[in-house]
Amino acid sequence: MATYDFVFDALGLRGWCGEASTDTDAPMSMDELLAQSGGGGGGAAPAVSLWELPFPSMDALNDACAAFPQSRELTQGLERGFLNAKDAMSFVLDPLTQPLSWALESALYGILTTPWWIVIPILMAITWFVSRSWGLLAFVTLSIAGLAFIDHYDYAMQTLAIIFVCAFICVLIGVPIGIAMSRSDSFQNGAIPVLDMLQTLPPFVYLIPLIFLFSVTEPKLYGIAIILYAIVPVIRLTNLGIRMVDPHVMEAAEAFGMTRRQKLYGVQIPLALPNIMAGVNQTIMMSLAMVVIASLVSAPGLGVLVLRGIRNLELGVGLVAGLGIVILAVILDRVTKASLARINAQQKS
Amino acid sequence: MRVNEVLVPGGVEGWWIPTYLAEEHPELTTLEGIMENPDLVGGTFNNCPDGWGCRVVNDNLIRAIDLESSGLDVFNHGSGETLATSMASAYENEEPWFGYYWGPTVPLGQYDMTKVEIGEVDPEVHARNQNPDSDNPGVSDFPAAPILTSVTADLADREPQVVEFLGKMEWETDTMSSLLAWMEENNANAEETAVYFLRNYQDTWSGWLNDAARENLSALLQQG
Repeated sequence: MATYDFVFDALGLRGWCGEASTDTDAPMSMDELLAQSGGGGGGAAPAVSLWELPFPSMDALNDACAAFPQSRELTQGLERGFLNAKDAMSFVLDPLTQPLSWALESALYGILTTPWWIVIPILMAITWFVSRSWGLLAFVTLSIAGLAFIDHYDYAMQTLAIIFVCAFICVLIGVPIGIAMSRSDSFQNGAIPVLDMLQTLPPFVYLIPLIFLFSVTEPKLYGIAIILYAIVPVIRLTNLGIRMVDPHVMEAAEAFGMTRRQKLYGVQIPLALPNIMAGVNQTIMMSLAMVVIASLVSAPGLGVLVLRGIRNLELGVGLVAGLGIVILAVILDRVTKASLARINAQQKS
Repeated sequence: MRVNEVLVPGGVEGWWIPTYLAEEHPELTTLEGIMENPDLVGGTFNNCPDGWGCRVVNDNLIRAIDLESSGLDVFNHGSGETLATSMASAYENEEPWFGYYWGPTVPLGQYDMTKVEIGEVDPEVHARNQNPDSDNPGVSDFPAAPILTSVTADLADREPQVVEFLGKMEWETDTMSSLLAWMEENNANAEETAVYFLRNYQDTWSGWLNDAARENLSALLQQG
């Protein structure tokens, strides 16, 4: 019989274990079938040497005692538990995240129905407004025109719309969380493990519960996935920026009798702005990194083309779409860096 | 060397609705019925992900029958996983669902689906539909794809008995799907599923074997 029989015999649990079930519906391995019919290598199993001693895992213990759960019942139990909690969770989370769906839908609709000769000048105006650099403006215009020239305008704009919405929400939620973390040490201690987890968890893993929680045809599915992944740097750098404000400056602010609110808006946030902007830059870059994975849960845009390239081994399609993502990344990076440089220059003067 | 077609009728593809929906509204089993009542199927056609062969065929069919004119939205899934999940969650909540799927697969074994009649199977039209940006897409249902057992000529020389057995081995696509569903439900591995098949589908496999082998195997199972 099995190696760990003695454990159950010694504990007097043999009766609890019971006989192996004879239900024809229960899973049964080929070895068990052969052993049952006595055709397996002549009766008793060969004695196991110490060298081959199996680890007392759930499956090994199940061999000795049929009532002991097998390890597959662990995954099954997890699944069942999640499915039971699912209805309550989606009841709360569904309405809460509905605005995200609306925002993504209207952004995608808006950017695609507006003619290109309005969208491109708007993008140019934004570039000029934040960077005030003729060189950058020319670069952005040429890149977008290049993408449009090779008929990737629609895909690129879809990707851009998704990133704008997600990055905006990341900043909207992330900066206040960062400020709260900078003000309370215990909140910081609690939040850092969560942030670490969000950053290291493979993005595919948190797609799984999301698929179960929400309808897969809703855009918020990929919205949440992108936001969870991309929100981390803006929180971290806001926290860090505010904590790094020179204590002497804070002392001076206190000496002037500033209230906490005045200190926050008048001293801490302005001085932490370069760090916060660096966080925004990283957040935008990370949401761009999620574009291809988000396309697996039906996000439109350049990611779809990359996936098509992979699935059909259409090398050209994949490469062009990948290059398009790189161009978008360079544009967004340069524009945010340029605005960061402007803020730095203003503070120096 | 081709020996036999192992699955009867073969790999099935098509557009499906849940059977409970078909029972409630029998008119939905034809394409015309669906296009007249788009709300009854949830107003959405669940399409294949980009890059799949069926996506090309579906897109051409959608153009040929002008599906979107009936008020149905075509939702292009990002991956096979979301396509399957949309079907699974709709089925579990008894909601309407309409979309593409193929078998033998776990979801088609697990969920009772009814195939929507698109029209006659016309191999020529179907071949035309498999061409992206086809000029004149037509209407043709999906023909069943043959799934073959093949062996090397070497094996046929060396083990004629095994090849004879493989030549007789064939089963229904539905059986395959329900076995896959059993495997999924019990988190079983392939070997355990094989045992389950041997113990519960005697009618299916007894025709594959010669008399001596059949008696051997039955005796083995009887003892168990």
